Amino acid sequence: MTDVASDSASGGVGDPGPVESDDLPGLTTALSTSLLAIALALGAGALLLLVSGENPATAYRALFDGAFGSKFAIGETFARAAPLAIVGYGTAVALRAGLVSIGAQGQVIAGAIGALLTALLLEDAPSVIAVPLVAVGGALFGMAWVLIPAILRAYMNVNEILSTLLFTEFAALLVEYLLNNPLKPASAITPQSDPFPDNARLGLVIEGTRFHAGVFVAVIVAFAFVWWVRSVKGFQYDLYGENPELAESLGIPGKRVIVNSLLISGATAGLVGWIQAAGLLHRVYVGIASDIGFFGLVVAFLGGATAGGVIVAALLFGALQSGGLAMQSAEGIPASLSDIIQALILLGFSIRYAPQIMRLTKGVMANFSLGRRVTR
Amino acid sequence: MASLSESRGGDAINVRGISRRFGAIQALDSVDFDLRAGEIHALVGENGAGKSTMAKIIAGSIKPDVGSIQLFGETYAPSSRRSGAAAGVAHVRQQLSLVNGLTVAQNLQLGRPGAARLFNAAAAKAEVERWCDELRLDVPAERLVDEMPLAVRQQAEILIAVAWGARVLILDEPSSALGPFETEALITLCQRLRSEGTPIVYISHRLPELAELADRLTVLRQGKALVSGADVRDADLREIATLMIGDVSLLDVQRPEIERGPTRLAVTNLSISLPHGVGLHDFDLEVAGGEIVGVVGVAGNGQEALAKALTGQLKPSAGRVVVDGADVSGSATRAISAGVAHLQEDRATGLAGSLSVGDNVTARRIGAGGFTRLGIRIPARIATHARALAERFQVRPPEPSARAGSLSGGNQQKLMAARELEYDPSVLVAHGPTKGLDPEAAKTMRDRCFAAAQSGGAVVVISADLDEVIDLAHRVIVLNAGLVTDQFPIEAMSSERLGAAMAGLTRVDTPND
Repeated sequence: MTDVASDSASGGVGDPGPVESDDLPGLTTALSTSLLAIALALGAGALLLLVSGENPATAYRALFDGAFGSKFAIGETFARAAPLAIVGYGTAVALRAGLVSIGAQGQVIAGAIGALLTALLLEDAPSVIAVPLVAVGGALFGMAWVLIPAILRAYMNVNEILSTLLFTEFAALLVEYLLNNPLKPASAITPQSDPFPDNARLGLVIEGTRFHAGVFVAVIVAFAFVWWVRSVKGFQYDLYGENPELAESLGIPGKRVIVNSLLISGATAGLVGWIQAAGLLHRVYVGIASDIGFFGLVVAFLGGATAGGVIVAALLFGALQSGGLAMQSAEGIPASLSDIIQALILLGFSIRYAPQIMRLTKGVMANFSLGRRVTR
Repeated sequence: MASLSESRGGDAINVRGISRRFGAIQALDSVDFDLRAGEIHALVGENGAGKSTMAKIIAGSIKPDVGSIQLFGETYAPSSRRSGAAAGVAHVRQQLSLVNGLTVAQNLQLGRPGAARLFNAAAAKAEVERWCDELRLDVPAERLVDEMPLAVRQQAEILIAVAWGARVLILDEPSSALGPFETEALITLCQRLRSEGTPIVYISHRLPELAELADRLTVLRQGKALVSGADVRDADLREIATLMIGDVSLLDVQRPEIERGPTRLAVTNLSISLPHGVGLHDFDLEVAGGEIVGVVGVAGNGQEALAKALTGQLKPSAGRVVVDGADVSGSATRAISAGVAHLQEDRATGLAGSLSVGDNVTARRIGAGGFTRLGIRIPARIATHARALAERFQVRPPEPSARAGSLSGGNQQKLMAARELEYDPSVLVAHGPTKGLDPEAAKTMRDRCFAAAQSGGAVVVISADLDEVIDLAHRVIVLNAGLVTDQFPIEAMSSERLGAAMAGLTRVDTPND
């Protein structure tokens, strides 16, 4: 797995003890090197701002304040980071097994629909029963949305990049249909569902912010990912991602690895659909997934599909999104310039996990050789 | 194409004093070679004899250190394969160079010397069909290359070479992955090309088909031409086969005395068909504990299929592989639990290069042996165990956290051995165990094979390197085109016998029940 690569990237040598460094304990080194790279990116962004006649100091203060400057800002950063982290971890499980699912977007939508339908079924149940079952409903719908691509990939070697993307398109059209027809309340003008039933909602944790209980799902998923990476199963999946032929020669069943890792990624995306609907928006809209599915994939890559990396990348993304908005509204910086600065910072961050990212993209390349990867 | 070569007469290619060195290996040593217009000239030799180097030099992909070439009487010093092709020399390699995902017609236009900038689909299709008529081939112009069988792809590549105006064709091991009928079709195609005036350099180690096809032959061994342009009709094929092999010396071989036990590996009627490459036909083998059997043959004659079948990685289309009474056919899991160890030929597929030494060395039994608690791996225990194991197998450095891919080739081989041979195996399948290793590492690997036999295991050494087999094996099996062409105890080995069997001049009829 990535232990040695991350050791060398962070300059750590000669620690003969544990074979692992691929989990939350690596968080501090991840943060320190990331901060250096981000500082460089901020420097470049400052030049750009100067050239455009803006004051970098005030712009960056607005960016920082928008991300961390107030209770509301912090809540916003976490509320935006949580879904990205969850999708990121699920996508990372598939990436480590050598599979590039870019269909999280569709699975988030499916998960939201699944959660809503379950919630409507359980309208009279007490919250203790409704909330977990609704979560399961979301996860199952997310899994269902990736099931066909997973089977096609395992048994007919159909490229999962293409199939999951097509299923995203399918989900987007389906939600539009549902919200315009069967799920549309009589009173609604725009396509949207009925409000999420109260008994199935996730409450706010910090009043006056959007920090809702669903954010903690990201913490649970992060711990589950750490467990996965350290587990025997997780190791077998890593081995398959690294060298499918060797893995099969050691008796690791390739088809099962493919189907299960994609199902895991589908389930996590489905959970995101659930927390967005039940915790944040309290309805299902056409744009319920915003771009979480795609940014979640970026988060998984940027974080090198490691536990520490994904959480840091997700927080960075969340902070940039919430700070970027503040920069635009408070300082009147054009949206495009704000986007460029965000992109520069993410680019800087990518240096931290460069070796892992290189390794993961190797898998993408193999995947693109017309889907003729060796599988039996 | 035909008119050009006929009008000039004389020789198509004259190679004079070509030498080429790769590092410490003298691949070609002042070789002369002539290709007459309108002939098929066979270039034969064992693996590493210099055939492919010769082909690449003539085609322009590599340059000779010294020596000169004339093409139809004119000085010819191509700077690249492309400039060779522009001069009319087409090299059809073993790994075909058609682009998958494109049609034959598109491949015809792609990279064509002096091609128009725009692709004219109708014209390209018509051209493929015209050449199909001319050469009496049946190559579909508008099918994707990767959807066609290997033999048709090869025909497509030859067709494209001719359509590009090839005046000389070099076919490198063209029959190596073809079945008997396909080979027959290839021979007919070559004869037709010859009759239309295109001379062919035909590289092969299969003598029977050369006898049918070639006019003259040149034998290379260790970069030297032992026979230059001999008439095939007058040549004694058995003598040629013996020449190809060189002297087989059983002197100086020190093999430890190993006691024989009961049969541990029994393979009956094993047949394997592969979509690409050579499978196996009706393969039978019994190996006793303590016995080392060497499977020899030129690479690509079914060795890969055999190694994978013995280790449960390939499902046989017929027959069984039984280890200590347990059927392990087609199940890697069952093979591993029956104690089958496998040293893979290619270290890149035999190890996970980006993973650590510790992860690699314990990968075979990761779920077991006190490495885990409640399904979670215990890194400290794995590291401790991995270090001990790596030290026992002399892996340097024995550092569990080092990346496996960062080790030297010899240490990677030892690492793979440490993973596979931690416990005494019931069966060891060693595919090229000393390939590419320095003498010391090679000796370590040989000792590992002997140790596996001494501990009562049945050992199968699959190798294209005769010395490796001579050093290790008690008994030899020769594979050619997926068939056993001979088998004998090592004491009965001679250049004549081995050469004939490796070149496919003999055939052992395996008893069928």
